[in-house]
Parts: sequence; C-alpha cells; structure tokens
Amino acid sequence: MADSNMRFLVVDDFSTMRRIVRNLLKELGFSNVEEAEDGQVALHKLKNGNYEFVVTDWNMPNMTGIELLKAIRADAQLKHLPVLMVTAEAKKENIIEAATAGASGYVVKPFTAATLDEKLKKIFANMNK
Amino acid sequence: MSDQAQNTGDSDELEALFDSILKAGGNDAPAAAPAPPPAASAAPAASDTAAPGAASDALAEPARSMFSHIGQMTRKLHDTLRELGLDKSLEQAVSQIPDAKDRLSYIATLTEQAAERTLNALDAAKPLQDRISDEAKALAGEWDKLVNNQLSVDEFKALVTRTRSHLNATVTNSDQISGQMLEIMMAQDFQDLTGQVIKKVVEMAKAMESQLLDFLLMFSPQGAAVIHKQDDPLLNGPVVNAEGRTDVVTNQQQVDDLLDSLGF
Repeated sequence: MADSNMRFLVVDDFSTMRRIVRNLLKELGFSNVEEAEDGQVALHKLKNGNYEFVVTDWNMPNMTGIELLKAIRADAQLKHLPVLMVTAEAKKENIIEAATAGASGYVVKPFTAATLDEKLKKIFANMNK
Repeated sequence: MSDQAQNTGDSDELEALFDSILKAGGNDAPAAAPAPPPAASAAPAASDTAAPGAASDALAEPARSMFSHIGQMTRKLHDTLRELGLDKSLEQAVSQIPDAKDRLSYIATLTEQAAERTLNALDAAKPLQDRISDEAKALAGEWDKLVNNQLSVDEFKALVTRTRSHLNATVTNSDQISGQMLEIMMAQDFQDLTGQVIKKVVEMAKAMESQLLDFLLMFSPQGAAVIHKQDDPLLNGPVVNAEGRTDVVTNQQQVDDLLDSLGF
C-alpha cells in the first residue's frame, strides 16, 4: 500500500467535485490533499510543491486536463508524476487521446468510491514495479 | 423604405449597406451583377487568361461580383423573411436565449447548493458516527474481559459507568445523525425544481430548433443539408443520451476494456 501521507493534487473546476474526490481520498486513507480549479493553477502548484499524485478533470477553463497532462509529461521535473483522469468525457477518442498522452488511469463520471480505489491501487502497483 | 425602418430597428443601416453594395456592384461590374453564379465565375476567369498582365484588376473583379451577389442574396433573404413573417419568429427565438441562460444558471445554483448542503451534513454526521462505533468497540472489549473473569471489582464498576455514559451519548449522537440525514434528504428538493426548469428549457430549445430548421430548409441551396459543426471534438461533456451510439463508452468497464485492448 502507498504511503498514507502521499501528497495529492485534485484538479477540477467544480468545487463540489473536488470536495467529493477529496473526501473519497480521505476515506481511502489519504488526507494530504490540495486542490486546484484549472490546469493553469494546477501546473503552477505542481512546479512549486512536492506533489506525488495528480487527479484531474478534463474539461476546465484556461487549461484543460489533457493540456495539463501533456505539460506534465513534457516537464523534466514532473514527467514521472502519476496522473489519473476523472472526467465526464466518455468518447472513445477521448480515452485513446488520454492514454497516448500518458495518462496513468481513466475514470468516467459518475464514478464510485470502489472504482477510484481500484484505479489508485493499480497505479500504485505499476509505480512500484 | 421608411415603413421598413419602422418594422425593425436596424433597417436603416441594413438598407444603407445593401444600397452601397448594390451600387458598387452595379458600377464596376454591370455584367456580373444580374447574372447567375456560373456566368459570374466564368467571366473573371476569361478575363484572367485574356489579360495576364493586369493581375490586380483580374483579382478585384471576381471579388466585386462576389460581394455584389452576396448583397443581392442578402437583400432577397431579408425581404422574403419579412414577407413570410420569419424575421419575427427568429427574433422571438433569439429573445428566448437570455431567458434560457437565466434558467440554466438557476439550475446550476440550485444543484450546487444541494451538493454543498449534503456534503456539510455528511461532514457533521460522520465524526458522531465514528465516535459511537469506536466507543462501542472499546466497551465490547472490556465486557469480553469481564466474561472471561479478567476484571477486578473496581474495573467492573468503571466499566458500568462508562457503558452508561456511552448509552446516553449514543442517544444524543444518534439524534443528531438522524437530523443530518433529514437534512440530506431535504437537500434533494432541488430535483423537483430543476426538473421543471429543465423541461421548460428543453421545450424552448425544441421550438428554436424547429424555427431555425424551417429557416434553413427554405434558404439552404441544398435544401435540408444541415452541417453538424462542433468546436472541439474532445470537449463534449457528459453523454446525455448514449442510445445507438458506438463512439462513446457508458461505464467504467468499457473504459478499462478499451484501454486493455490497446495495450495500456
């Protein structure tokens, strides 16, 4: 199991969704969670803080989640970060686009606590390989 | 012209624009202006090959006749719309947009409030629930010890006191949790309100669609050729109706299967 003190950044333009994801993470034992309301704010925070995991929405103003993902993968300091996409975008081309851009996981909304837990565990397992 | 100006506020400007376009077309390209599109495009092409030296004139010519055509078409469209009373129905459709925006932001506000209320109630109830559970676990352990004769008389007396206070606290905490559950239930009242508003917006959208479709059918050169345009193919939001679509996934299993099949 991953370190319960692992530092998360939850990126979503809706505060309700950020709160739900934060609560779910807390429920799963992770209480070190920060929030950002779009990709731009997130990227700024990521560059200035020691984050270990990113959970991001896709459709956001200023900078979308996919742009954020590409920016993370293009940054030498950040490219190793696991990025889990949690989004309502459910077209197959979205999922393929995210996977090719280097997303660590893809969860469609609405989602359950069990799904989030499963995806996190899968990502942790891959990280330890 | 004056009675037209009374019908719509912007008519004066439009008339002036039409007139200027028509005048420009009439003076500079008398042959092209009244001619149908094929003749108009053929004429500049001919002049282009005939006089390659006069490049600037040859370029200006098709542009002028194009503008003149657009001007005439716009004028015709404008007049026909007025004759059919379609300008009024379009105006009506457009005037409904601010109303729809208000309704939609009302829905956004209500749903946000409901989510906020629910989460607040959960935040209040969860610690109480946890306290009841933790204390009950601890007491159960003590009572097990008693059954196994592992408690002294003093420890037993302390256990009885703790158990009594736990029972009293459980009553208080349970009442509070019950109150928060009621709050969660009440927070769902947005469903009724937003449902009604959504219905109205849907009706309005349907009316607008049919009015705009009538308009398109009447004036589109290909008849019913309606182009489906999307700004960004990857920003669609939630799939509202997945029935009959093969380009979307409808659950997490399908996401996982797709990623697996691609080797991710």
